Amino acid sequence: MKVLQVIDQAFRTTGEEQDDTILWLTQCMRSAGAELEVLLTGHGAYYTVQSRTQPALRFGAWQQTQPADITQDIGRLREKGVPVYVEREALQERGLFGLPVLPGVEVISRDAVVKLYENADQIWHW
Amino acid sequence: MSHFLFIQSQDPFTEVAASRQYQLAAELAKAGNQVQVLLVQNGVTPARKGANCPAFDALLASSVSVLADEFALRQREFGENHLRDGVQPAEIGLVVDAMLAGHKVIWN
Amino acid sequence: MNKTSPLNNTLTFAFMDPPFENERTITFFRLLDAALEKNANVRVFAYEGAVALAFARQQQHGNAVHGRDTETENHPLTKDWISALQRKSKDKGLSFEWINCGLCVDERGVNEAVEGCGRGGPADLWRYASESHNTLAIGTR
Repeated sequence: MKVLQVIDQAFRTTGEEQDDTILWLTQCMRSAGAELEVLLTGHGAYYTVQSRTQPALRFGAWQQTQPADITQDIGRLREKGVPVYVEREALQERGLFGLPVLPGVEVISRDAVVKLYENADQIWHW
Repeated sequence: MSHFLFIQSQDPFTEVAASRQYQLAAELAKAGNQVQVLLVQNGVTPARKGANCPAFDALLASSVSVLADEFALRQREFGENHLRDGVQPAEIGLVVDAMLAGHKVIWN
Repeated sequence: MNKTSPLNNTLTFAFMDPPFENERTITFFRLLDAALEKNANVRVFAYEGAVALAFARQQQHGNAVHGRDTETENHPLTKDWISALQRKSKDKGLSFEWINCGLCVDERGVNEAVEGCGRGGPADLWRYASESHNTLAIGTR
């Protein structure tokens, strides 16, 4: 069974969870043998052009020591053989097209998204 | 050919992504798939007669079958004559029917 | 659909939202109820905020704005909805399984769940989905 994980939001958990919670979930399920693909669309496109760790949070004397590293999260997915796609139009809308995408991330057109949906057995939109 | 059911909770008045979601549904239908969209929660708001939403007009003009959760309609006091032509009220159980039929059921 | 699933009448639902915040929680429970109504076995993987849905220490309260005391207000609690769905499944000879993501439980401190709700992790979501006829994931916003 092949599942397409669709992520169209970004930065909603990166502060407290110190990762993107769905990228993390995907990594864990992959380790459990899942056949998964990831489509980053909408604001999720931001993840594919990240180049550094998230800024560390600080409240009073409390200082975050392990801010999220999305580049590492996506890198791990790629190392585990999970295809990661980003929608070109999502990059373009946000003025991100032309920035280098993370290694192994494939830029696809909106037309190609139709094929992803057709080819997956299930689509989990988070 | 695949069967898709999109459970559409996002509405185009507050979420820009909803228009793109409608487009994807229409594109999948155009590609030869059977596609239904069940509007739930505020997703029913463009389905009211008089609502101004070109993106929703385009969805209705496509071959996508558009349904609206009767509970959401009751909450928002849609009378029988308030629902746009081309939108059918439906029970939430149709989601379960679709899942049991092996359709690809996707929450938007 | 999971074409190789041996559990043809079992549906898995993954959910992320905590109680009391938005309409998605209501729709989710309506779907669970509808699934049982249609004689499907149900499996739930509660992720992130959804682990609080089963928190055993949820408490009713009165509401001065409504002009009602605790008993009269009869405030809905999601833990009671889960228990009601468990009873419904039992009455119908169906199964209703619920797993909370354990790390999500720990960080929220909602370790006491109502009976019948277990603790697990992402591998359980994959196990549930792999064994089920179909799965619906409802993300949060």
